[in-house]
Amino acid sequence: MTASRIRSAGTAQATAKAHIGRLSLHNFRNFQRAECEFPPAGVAIIGPNGAGKTNLLEAIYYLEIFRSFRQARDRELVRFGQRVFRVEAEIRGEAAGVESLAAAYDRGGRKKVEVDGEEVERFSDAIGTLGAVVFSLDDVEIIRGSPGGRRRFLNILLSLVEPGYVDALQRYRNFLSQRNEALKGEADPAMIDAWTEGLVEKGARVMEARHRWIRGQADAFARYGEEISGEGPGRMRYDPSVDWPEGMTPGREEAGPGQPDESGADGSAETSDSVADGDGTGRWRSREERRERAERWAERFRRALSENAERERRREVTVVGPHRDDIEFRARVADDEQRDLRKYGSGGQQRTAALALRLVEADTLAGRLGRDPIYLLDDVFAELDRDRSRRVLHLLDEGRSGQVILAAPKAADIELRGGLERWTIRDGRIEPDADGTA
Amino acid sequence: MSAIDDLMQEFGRLPGIGKKTARRLTYYLLKQPPGDVRQLAGAVERVADEVEACSNCGNLSDEDPCGYCRDDRRDPSVVCVVEEASDIAAIEKSGHYDGLYHVLGGRLSPLDGVGPDDLNVAGLAERLRDEVEEMIIATNPSVEGEATATYLQKLVDQIDEEIQITRLARGLPVGGDLEYADGVTIAEAFSGRREM
Ligand SMILES: [Zn+2]
Repeated sequence: MTASRIRSAGTAQATAKAHIGRLSLHNFRNFQRAECEFPPAGVAIIGPNGAGKTNLLEAIYYLEIFRSFRQARDRELVRFGQRVFRVEAEIRGEAAGVESLAAAYDRGGRKKVEVDGEEVERFSDAIGTLGAVVFSLDDVEIIRGSPGGRRRFLNILLSLVEPGYVDALQRYRNFLSQRNEALKGEADPAMIDAWTEGLVEKGARVMEARHRWIRGQADAFARYGEEISGEGPGRMRYDPSVDWPEGMTPGREEAGPGQPDESGADGSAETSDSVADGDGTGRWRSREERRERAERWAERFRRALSENAERERRREVTVVGPHRDDIEFRARVADDEQRDLRKYGSGGQQRTAALALRLVEADTLAGRLGRDPIYLLDDVFAELDRDRSRRVLHLLDEGRSGQVILAAPKAADIELRGGLERWTIRDGRIEPDADGTA
Repeated sequence: MSAIDDLMQEFGRLPGIGKKTARRLTYYLLKQPPGDVRQLAGAVERVADEVEACSNCGNLSDEDPCGYCRDDRRDPSVVCVVEEASDIAAIEKSGHYDGLYHVLGGRLSPLDGVGPDDLNVAGLAERLRDEVEEMIIATNPSVEGEATATYLQKLVDQIDEEIQITRLARGLPVGGDLEYADGVTIAEAFSGRREM
């Protein structure tokens, strides 16, 4: 099976391109001042650990979500002894949409984001404009770490591709913290109830979006995993903290790939109400269907809250809701036996799942952007065996046209897209390597 | 503390005024003719002495009951509940409402320690026992405003199921305050209000 056949719906237009041209960094991490001009196909950057490879990718991805993908605070990104950092990139290509993106942060706490030289009022108006995905060694923590990391993954991705998600999530969190405060001490039931309806409404919206994405990408995830590992498919499914609504079944265990596994509304026929198939999630596209599904989640959420009323009064905190969601990852170990990869997966299985997850993320972004995202690869091959590395490279190469910016400590094993230009990085300085040019 | 420092400190306690602005305002006043400054001081004093919350609706006014409550051309069967007295001016500007008001004096917020007892809720419950047929909840579309609306709806349902409860339609900017919405937006919100 080729990579291009695996790719999920909505990526047909992925031949349209955009890439980062000039990048300039000022006082970002260990870069005092750095400027470089990336080739459209990308570049392989070689340098010892501590030279600033990850910092460079962090700076680029900062222009995608306006915070660190390593969960560093903004002030940690400012070079030692300085006040302000600035990252700026020129975006080129017919599918770029914008010409430049810039972000600056001042230790005083002020952050500013510019699109085409104009400061944006809300960061949420500009996130996702770059269109990039980071593959990092730490991604394995998404699979084997705490549920919070998996929720963070979903939140970032859905913020980039799902209209209204950020707002729903933000309001959900506000309702949640107010409600938790109302639950403290001698709680007045009416005062708790006041926050419940808003919590349920926004929470159901969040759950519906998370479920829709996971469900829509489950097949591609399984096939990527199979392709990378050469073993049986791993499975990904939504693991909500409330009961499943009637007619929606948990996952794909009983059904073969591509088989409808839901007795409920499965008609994916488009209606005039449909939104453009931008997010590549395929199913339940019409606004009405999504609303109807959110209502069914709301009903379950409401019920779970009332069933847990005693418990939350005792514990003085809201015990169910999307803030307790998870994604479940499983691998088939025998015909009738599955293993929870989060806890019991081998290192190889967990790394495979992490890569498959980033690949479906890339497909999702491609669907939204109408082009391939920019691939930022941070030393991803370090802990993969030779076969897996080769298969991952193949997946990244086949049918993908996005710019690749790859960082690795050694030049070995970097054979991508007929050879990328080679640069070296040392002590925060980036230099094109004359000998390494393909 | 010197008179100048004293005034700067007082200005600094006002919302949206930092140290710098407080200093600028103080030195501005120092340059004005004493008569003008006394006029300002007088206005501040009158507000402190004469303006009170209307004992019926909670609106801030120098008469009690306030002008809206005394106006017999207004429809007493409809009460519009707002967070702050300043919201009334915004609604009046739209010119689309001729019922009475009820000012809560804030909104529920456990994180800020604000509960029903801190708001003018008991007064509302009292009024609803009379001739009110419809209550329009015009709290802000913030999380706290929404929760306050939910709270009031449940409360009023308990008092009298016959009272029709409506919520100002969305269309008001999310997170934005009623106070800053324009007249057209508010007029549309009134005509599109929905039953809770
Ligand atoms: Zn009054």
